[in-house]
Amino acid sequence: MSRAFYWMVLPAFVLFFVFHTVPVLQGVYYSLTDSPGYGEHAFVGLRNYVNLFKDDRILDAYLFTFQFAVVATILTNVIALAIAVGLSARIRFRTALRGIFFIPNVLAILIVGYIFNYLFSNYVPVLLGELAWIGVVVVAVWQAVAFNIIIYLAGLQTIPEDLHEAARIDGAGSWRRFRSVVFPLIAPFFTVNMVLSLKNFLQVFDHIVALTNGGPGTATTSVSLLIYTGGFQGGEYAYQTANAIVYFVVIVLVSIFQLRILQRREQL
Amino acid sequence: MTRVNWWLTGLLAACSLTVLVPLYFTVVTALKSPDQLTGSGLALPSEIRWSNFATAWELTGYPRAALTSALITVSAVLLTLLTNSLVAYAIARNMERRLFKGLYYYFVSALFVPFPIIMLPVVKQTSMLGLDNQAGLILLYVVYGLAFNIFLYVGYIRSIPVSLEEAARVDGAGTWTVFWRVIFPLLAPMNATVGILTFLWAWNDFLLPLVVLSEAQTLPLVQYVFQSQFNTDYTVAFASYLMALAPVLIVYVFAQRWVISGVLRGSVKG
Amino acid sequence: MARSIALLVAAALFASSCGQDPGSAVTLDFFQFKPEAVKTFDRIIEEFEREHPGVRVVQRHVPNAETALRTRLVRQDVPDVLTLNGAGVFGELAAAGVFHDFSRDRVAQVVNPPVQKILNDLGTFGRGEVNGLPFASNANVVIYNKDLFARHRVEPPRSWAELIAAARTFRAAGVTPFYLTLKDAWTALPTFNALAANLAPADFFARRRAGLATFLSAYPQVTEKLKELYSHGQPDRLSRGYDEGNRAFAEGRAAMYLQGSWAIPAIKGLEPAFELGTFALPAVQDQRLVSGVDVAVTMAREPRHPKEAMAFVEYLMRPEVMKAYAEEQVAIPPLRQAGSPVLREVLPYFERGRLAGFPDHHIPLAVQLERLLQRFLIDGDSRAFLAELDSEWDKVMERRS
Repeated sequence: MSRAFYWMVLPAFVLFFVFHTVPVLQGVYYSLTDSPGYGEHAFVGLRNYVNLFKDDRILDAYLFTFQFAVVATILTNVIALAIAVGLSARIRFRTALRGIFFIPNVLAILIVGYIFNYLFSNYVPVLLGELAWIGVVVVAVWQAVAFNIIIYLAGLQTIPEDLHEAARIDGAGSWRRFRSVVFPLIAPFFTVNMVLSLKNFLQVFDHIVALTNGGPGTATTSVSLLIYTGGFQGGEYAYQTANAIVYFVVIVLVSIFQLRILQRREQL
Repeated sequence: MTRVNWWLTGLLAACSLTVLVPLYFTVVTALKSPDQLTGSGLALPSEIRWSNFATAWELTGYPRAALTSALITVSAVLLTLLTNSLVAYAIARNMERRLFKGLYYYFVSALFVPFPIIMLPVVKQTSMLGLDNQAGLILLYVVYGLAFNIFLYVGYIRSIPVSLEEAARVDGAGTWTVFWRVIFPLLAPMNATVGILTFLWAWNDFLLPLVVLSEAQTLPLVQYVFQSQFNTDYTVAFASYLMALAPVLIVYVFAQRWVISGVLRGSVKG
Repeated sequence: MARSIALLVAAALFASSCGQDPGSAVTLDFFQFKPEAVKTFDRIIEEFEREHPGVRVVQRHVPNAETALRTRLVRQDVPDVLTLNGAGVFGELAAAGVFHDFSRDRVAQVVNPPVQKILNDLGTFGRGEVNGLPFASNANVVIYNKDLFARHRVEPPRSWAELIAAARTFRAAGVTPFYLTLKDAWTALPTFNALAANLAPADFFARRRAGLATFLSAYPQVTEKLKELYSHGQPDRLSRGYDEGNRAFAEGRAAMYLQGSWAIPAIKGLEPAFELGTFALPAVQDQRLVSGVDVAVTMAREPRHPKEAMAFVEYLMRPEVMKAYAEEQVAIPPLRQAGSPVLREVLPYFERGRLAGFPDHHIPLAVQLERLLQRFLIDGDSRAFLAELDSEWDKVMERRS
């Protein structure tokens, strides 16, 4: 084997280690201190972690984040799959429509959030008030559907046309055809989309900054936002870093769990 | 077989309005004067007020921010393509070795680390190294991009038959030459995918520039910074939003097919 | 091909990093927290630069200034000169030793001592240090529409009963009594402060810290009155923010506005001819006016350009500059003399010393009072609000110990 291969990966490894792994380790270290992010700090052991579990505000943020992420993931995937199936049927203007549906993916979510903020406050104020979490879902789904459509389209392209034909000759209705022919074949894409959507939605941040800033009250405070605002505005950097590490473990566990379940379904 | 399903076409066209209406709304609002902001807001402007754009242009320092965004995005894309593909090549061709396989999982697992964990240490580190500027941000995009790009590239490279390289090796080419002469050109489709995804990420990103840059400001950042200065001049604010969205929208309109097929390819491999 | 691209990138990077400041002038980094005052400071800077040709001042203003400043501190990048609201964050940063000690500087002498004390009480690094200078004081007042008051024959209220009666009169006449802007949670704080400063015992926070008192026992009157005021607002309060409130009030869409002196320039900026008056929220007989240091000026403990930074601070603290700022921004200069004509109606409070600091400055930021308050003003559950305030307080204190 050529020594050149080592030289190809070495700089990348060093840079990645310095700019990603070292910060992660530093984060872990800070989570065991009382640092506000600057100045002096003392080592406090696991106190931050113990306090996390006593803090109902943290719990509320997790509840909101999960509620939001689950609803947004399901809606995004249902809508994206429906539109992708529609787009791969025999329709006119397919390229143009596909192009339009993808637009939200190229736009900065912060700016999209500002635009929807204005729309909501002037036409559907309830989406920033009592039902603010739905407002966040609307914007998040509006944007995420775009990318998911493309992935489902990719999946649908892998289905040979004659399979459809065969099912049609069997006299299967379109719903049956979708359930028993199409869906099983694109199941891997469904798995990838569900896992990635949920993971992304669990980290929701920009949308909320632009729409509600976590309000009203703490109703739409996601875990990411709480880490940012509590850690910086509230000056509890170490405490919120401990929160971020717990959050990391939660995300990994959820993703593994989801993969297990969905892959088992794929095999059926 | 060629019968067009018009009913479905109509339905999808109706659905596409959910995308088009907010965009249309943004455009007409940006062209209005504040006193025209009544009713449904969907009416065409009775009189076009171009000065909204001039005001927003000056207030947010548009040309500077746009240039900063463009510089960061273009550099991040080019460097990502040149470096990440190289790393992926080395990994893909040595996946049977424990070291390289470990490296693969090392990079890819970073996908699951939430940014808040590393945010503060990264801010400290970049400023300590004098990288709290455009160059530092570009470097971070290239390095953090490794996680997902390695995943994309490795899958693709492994589908390229090794026999192609062997022919070149017989001619006496070293590993580097093989990569640049044989593999890199073959990666063109995947480069397009990675390039597009990196472009969209770097251009639209908000949190990383917010915390890393100490002076320069990108287009999304200036929208955030000037949000309070827009006050209730919604029409100026919308002109500013539109100008911030415009470059990527224009590029997209012209390169639409190419962008979508690039993303499609990434997802089949992914 | 690859190499030429890399060269291009390198060249572009190089050009961009060398593109600034060809001259040898010293550039001061001036962090300014107040979005309403950006233009005023631009003018002040312009005049300062005319006087000091070798110095260039770059004003930086960002939303969530305090968060942004903390991010910069993480970077160990303290601005040369900065303004901050005289509130909790200022105290925390001062106590952490981020700011210069002005106690031996001439410039500290111009400030009215009682006002300086309010600022020092928030926190200092060492005993007897002065880590910031009050540049402008504010007044927590109710702003009213003079025209609407005259038209409905309502006098500026001097007691709680008169205030509620006024609200009822306006309501009966189809005029919104108070314009509420709950989309921005903090906009409920001024009213909370005005009520808390007058209705809760003066030693409440000392007793709360010692564990001898609770919000639940000492604050029911505050929440009750707050709720009563908020029952006289417009229905779309949840989707309206501070900027929209200023505009709506300037357009005459409500008789009163529960804000503070800081909102007046924004309102005047929208409708220069608008006639407004102010009164202190009459929570009790002979109440005290809540006033704080709206803008404190300070500089880094180790500024990059100590001489120039001090020159700029000295320039800012010149009485004529402070007065001109106060005039334009409708503030009270923390000198001994009287303040802005718009605030004439509340000046007696200053003259008689019937002043109180902001109660919320005693509540740790991590409690996020404004979010709890916002929720209370939506669901109206006073007990739940106060109980949560107590439990958040306890949790934060436990995390700090």
